[in-house]
Amino acid sequence: MIYLNNAATSWPKPPEVQAAITKSLSLPVFGSGRTTGTEGEDYITQTRECLSSFLGAEPPEHIVFTHNATDSLNILISGFLAGKKDECHVLTTALDHNSVLRPLFEYNEQGRIRLSIIPFKGSSVSPEAVEASIRHDTRLMVMTHGSNVLGSVQDIRAIGTILHDHGICFMVDGAQTAGHIPVNLKNLPVDAYVFTGHKGLLGIPGTGGFFLRDPESVSPVRFGGTGTDSFSLMHPRGMPERFEIGTHNYPGLAALAAGVKFISDRGLHGIMEKAERQTTFLINEMKKDANITIYNNQPDLPIIAFNIKGLKNDDVGFILARAYGIIGRTGLHCAPLVHKAIDGGEGCVRLSLSWCTTDEECRIVADAIQEIAENANY
Amino acid sequence: MRIIRSVRHKVCADGAFMKEFLLDTPVPAEFYAYLGNFGHIEKLINVGEDFYKFEKPDWFSIKGFAGDTTVEVRFRKEVMDLTVDFVYLLFSSYHDGKVDLSALKRREQAIGERVRKHLHGSQE
Repeated sequence: MIYLNNAATSWPKPPEVQAAITKSLSLPVFGSGRTTGTEGEDYITQTRECLSSFLGAEPPEHIVFTHNATDSLNILISGFLAGKKDECHVLTTALDHNSVLRPLFEYNEQGRIRLSIIPFKGSSVSPEAVEASIRHDTRLMVMTHGSNVLGSVQDIRAIGTILHDHGICFMVDGAQTAGHIPVNLKNLPVDAYVFTGHKGLLGIPGTGGFFLRDPESVSPVRFGGTGTDSFSLMHPRGMPERFEIGTHNYPGLAALAAGVKFISDRGLHGIMEKAERQTTFLINEMKKDANITIYNNQPDLPIIAFNIKGLKNDDVGFILARAYGIIGRTGLHCAPLVHKAIDGGEGCVRLSLSWCTTDEECRIVADAIQEIAENANY
Repeated sequence: MRIIRSVRHKVCADGAFMKEFLLDTPVPAEFYAYLGNFGHIEKLINVGEDFYKFEKPDWFSIKGFAGDTTVEVRFRKEVMDLTVDFVYLLFSSYHDGKVDLSALKRREQAIGERVRKHLHGSQE
């Protein structure tokens, strides 16, 4: 099997990640305030510090763990709006995933916000288009850092600078960028950055989180046990308890820390260079057949979106999987507005590479796609 | 030929309900030719063991490779209750090419009227 569905969930996980999960399960759960035990790893603190360093996100306590990026975005968006008495204007983009679009459309439908969707040109949303969309009551913009379909990284520095000039909160969905490109939140005009554990950070599903610069800007929307300040019947407001409830996912956090360490040890730039070379190779090979449409010839991330003339994307994915053992993803990729713009809403085939994709695998994939395209009924 | 069981299912992006069926024998290419009596067939030869796709608009589609023991069926969800038995019937009625097409056609017509009524509100 050749697995090229890493933009959904990366696989395989490095041996170090698998070992960390095994180790975490071999010891009792260690959590401050929740046990008298002293044997065990403090995975929560270790992972928080590890991510803080990796993302340049200070202080570590402002990193909050959740179930995944969608969970993070729901907490951030609903918490931000919970602190607003009046209806306000919110911006997002046509590049965004349903993890952003659906919460915002729900609030738009409820009359809590008025939502504007900024279109993209080529594969990017321009800072100028963002500035032109700002109104007197715009309070929030939520947007993707990297498109999960087009693989394009957005200029969040320029966009964030414009938004901050207007006093607008800027939340960035980094589900596709964390672990794939360097992110230094110390120097970025971003108020909240969302990540997930199971993609580029090489952890397992069920882990994710966000960095929030100013905790007071987002109200807590979940309440319960934290293992701290237990006599108080009101939920603690300090970080990270403000947003973290219940027992943590210890094996998941152990895996996440091991994934981040693996990337750091191997070197993010080395991983990026290999991914860029292999992505370029695949695109150049696919471009040789005029019946293959590639939707972004120069992605910043190892993501290739394409269709073959005369074939439905579902059928191409089926053939690749069954006849060649190549696993990708087909359909809308939870980004319906992107597809409305690029393929009339039909969807496409997406291939997404990982740290362990080999050059030989890329050659096999290119040959397979060319063979299908050559035999398609035009 | 017999459907043994459904091994996988999902709701597709277009709202269709997909079921992957495991069969008791590999599907011969002739089976898809037989399906052509009830809908439209597309094929891609020279890809794997030859890829086939059967489409019966408003009902379901079936796709797979000749020689494979699984097929993927996508049902139009709104009428799946009406059409799912016909999928089983199409497979179970196929015995080495010997098929009573007239009985199947009568069944197809009866279900077709119910499908049309359900989807379009009146019989054509």
